[in-house]
Amino acid sequence: MIARIAIDVLLGIAVVVTVLSAVGVAVMRDPYQKLHYIAPPASLGVVCVVAALFIGEAQKLAVGKAVLIALLLFFMNAVITHATARAHYVREKGVWPPKEEFEVVDK
Amino acid sequence: MNAWLVAAAGMSLSLIPCAVVCLRGGPVARLVGLEMTSVCNSLVLLLLAEGFQRTLFYDVALSLALLSFGGGLVFARFLERWL
Repeated sequence: MIARIAIDVLLGIAVVVTVLSAVGVAVMRDPYQKLHYIAPPASLGVVCVVAALFIGEAQKLAVGKAVLIALLLFFMNAVITHATARAHYVREKGVWPPKEEFEVVDK
Repeated sequence: MNAWLVAAAGMSLSLIPCAVVCLRGGPVARLVGLEMTSVCNSLVLLLLAEGFQRTLFYDVALSLALLSFGGGLVFARFLERWL
């Protein structure tokens, strides 16, 4: 009974996080802002789904594949987000890496 | 209909805003929508595999996660250089 409640709660969290993030992608105007909203489903959402699978699934092969998918989504999301942001920067500024030198000012 | 299928149906709702992003906006914004769609689809397929109790369906979600990564990188590089 407790396991079933835990599964329902974890799946609910995953669904809410994913739907709200998708709405966030649609609402934000700038691509840099939109990119931030891919991270929650690729990290928190997939972790909740895998945790629910770990509780409810008896077959360890299925759990192993789900963990592999979670790792893929988690790490590849960072790479692809960086590549997309870089593509947008190059389209805007026309050069990579950035030419401006940023100074850190101590106050 | 078990909890997994209900969650898959609820998570499928996230595809509507992704479709809106893919149909409107600039090229990079559309690419962001496509990347979001691939993440959501992978999660939906994961939930459907568990909901239908078919271990084989996990491979579909795994394949989608892998191929969408490569496809997204190719799209990003294409937008960066040529389009």
